[in-house]
Amino acid sequence: MRRLTGLFGGAGGLIGALLVLLIVADGIAAPWIAPHDPLRVDMLSVLEEPSPAHWFGTDQAGRDVLSRVIWGGRASLEVSALAVIIGVTGGVALGLIAGFFNGGWLEQALMRVLDAMAAIPLLIWAIALVGILGVGPFTVLGVTFGNEVKLLALLGVLYMPTLARITYSSALAESRNNYVAARRLQGVGGLRIMVSDVLPNCLSPVIVQATLLLAIGIIIEASVSFVGLGVQPPQPSWGNMLADARNYLFSGEWWLSVFPGAAISVSVIAFNLLGDGLRDALDPRHTAQALTA
Amino acid sequence: MLALLLRRAGFSFLSLVLVTSVLFLLTRAIPDSPARIVLGTDASEAQVTRFERDHGLDRPVLVQYVAWVEALATKGSLGASFITGRAVGPEILSTLPVTLELVVVAFAISLGLSVAAGTLSALLRDTVLDYAVRFVAVLGVSVPGFWMALVLILLFAVDRNWFPPGGVVPWAKGWQAHVNSIVLPTFCLAIFYMAVLSRMTRSSLLEVLGLDYMRTARATGLPRPKVLAYALRNALVPVVTVAGMSFGYMFGWALIIESVFNISGMSRALLTAIQQRDFVLVQGVVMVFTFIFIIANLVADITNVWLNPRMAAVRA
Repeated sequence: MRRLTGLFGGAGGLIGALLVLLIVADGIAAPWIAPHDPLRVDMLSVLEEPSPAHWFGTDQAGRDVLSRVIWGGRASLEVSALAVIIGVTGGVALGLIAGFFNGGWLEQALMRVLDAMAAIPLLIWAIALVGILGVGPFTVLGVTFGNEVKLLALLGVLYMPTLARITYSSALAESRNNYVAARRLQGVGGLRIMVSDVLPNCLSPVIVQATLLLAIGIIIEASVSFVGLGVQPPQPSWGNMLADARNYLFSGEWWLSVFPGAAISVSVIAFNLLGDGLRDALDPRHTAQALTA
Repeated sequence: MLALLLRRAGFSFLSLVLVTSVLFLLTRAIPDSPARIVLGTDASEAQVTRFERDHGLDRPVLVQYVAWVEALATKGSLGASFITGRAVGPEILSTLPVTLELVVVAFAISLGLSVAAGTLSALLRDTVLDYAVRFVAVLGVSVPGFWMALVLILLFAVDRNWFPPGGVVPWAKGWQAHVNSIVLPTFCLAIFYMAVLSRMTRSSLLEVLGLDYMRTARATGLPRPKVLAYALRNALVPVVTVAGMSFGYMFGWALIIESVFNISGMSRALLTAIQQRDFVLVQGVVMVFTFIFIIANLVADITNVWLNPRMAAVRA
């Protein structure tokens, strides 16, 4: 048990890890655990209070709120996780190259580009660019993607400078270590040293930052879907469920806004606890930055 | 000092130029022509060609870009909307004050309260107060502002009639009514940054208080407030950096909060522009926000050099 809490930097981290596990499992297993079809309209049971038949009640179209919360979580996690994957892939690659091949034009060029990207206010750009591209599904090379793919791609790109800068500072420090010189003397090529020797030593703060970004991604997805520019109805997401709930704010259907909202908060708390715990365990010098967006 | 300032300002300007260029190119690179959007899908090919010629859209993108930069640099003009035909700059300026007020008030509240709470929390470490501050901080980063807004409207505007459920009452109708109408939106906007900044203040101050020079300062018999002042001067550097970024980011969240409270600030302008696909207006709004973001970061950098002159050597 002690070893387990140590792995996640304390009890908070462990609780976070377990909650995250639960939430992710929930999202993956949505088709099997959701009691009802989240899209099935039932005009005979509209706006019902929570009951044994519908634990979280039903919405304005008689759809089961619990099922929509479960499926909505899947959508939120998808957006947040894919954005982080894009951000980590691009950011780590750029930061690693700039840090490892330091002292040349490549480092300068990459870092200036990343500086410029860091001058972009994330949420406003995400909202505006989705707006400019137009809301709705789109087709690339014959494959149709949902509207939220625009959002997650943009987020991923805008996450890159943060992650790149963290990787850069680790890679810069690592590249001056003796083991790198030793590998060079063995005749190993620079690219190979970078990927198989330096990269693994740079990942700890990246993992911490990625976890914290997962938390903020959930909030961003919810906010953007709330103003109608993210996940498009009828497909449920926590954000667009709250947008619907807003119309029933004054008439007392509290379950419409409480459950999706609570789902967001619990997930964000879970990822934050895990992130803070991992920071204590993996990143004692706190290289990963404070979480804002 | 001056050299550093100029250098930083130069970098900020460079970033601004790069980022705005990217934005311009993105708005022009989309597959559907603005002409199609304005005239509708059943407009004839001739109509589209005429529209594009009238608005200079048939020129190469680079030429359009140069013309746009020229208008911006010489006349300070952000261009005219293809949809309404009106100049975008004045339109933005008319909605900016509402948003700006919300953000400035929320920023002042969150910075003031979080530095105070973070400092107390660090000084009274592991007391009830510390736990309370940390609990509120966890809550603040975990509850999305717009959901908090919905809950607060329900509690304090619907159930109890303490605050209006939406809109901002103009100053002209009495300052009490005005202040009352911005309490909920500013709080919802501020709470997240209050949480982030108080956590940062606490951890940064704890780190500084544990350093050797703090022990030395105490050992020389300096009065405690003075020691704290020295500690804060050093501890606030990362807080100022994040606060600078937060100021810029707040405009993004302000859009969401404004939309919950039905406030006709820039969010309405932007969301309407997005619905009508009024690129020029969207581009103008984003440009203004990006400009503010970059300036706020620059101000934070300068503040840090002032707080801790050693930064000048590091950054230059």
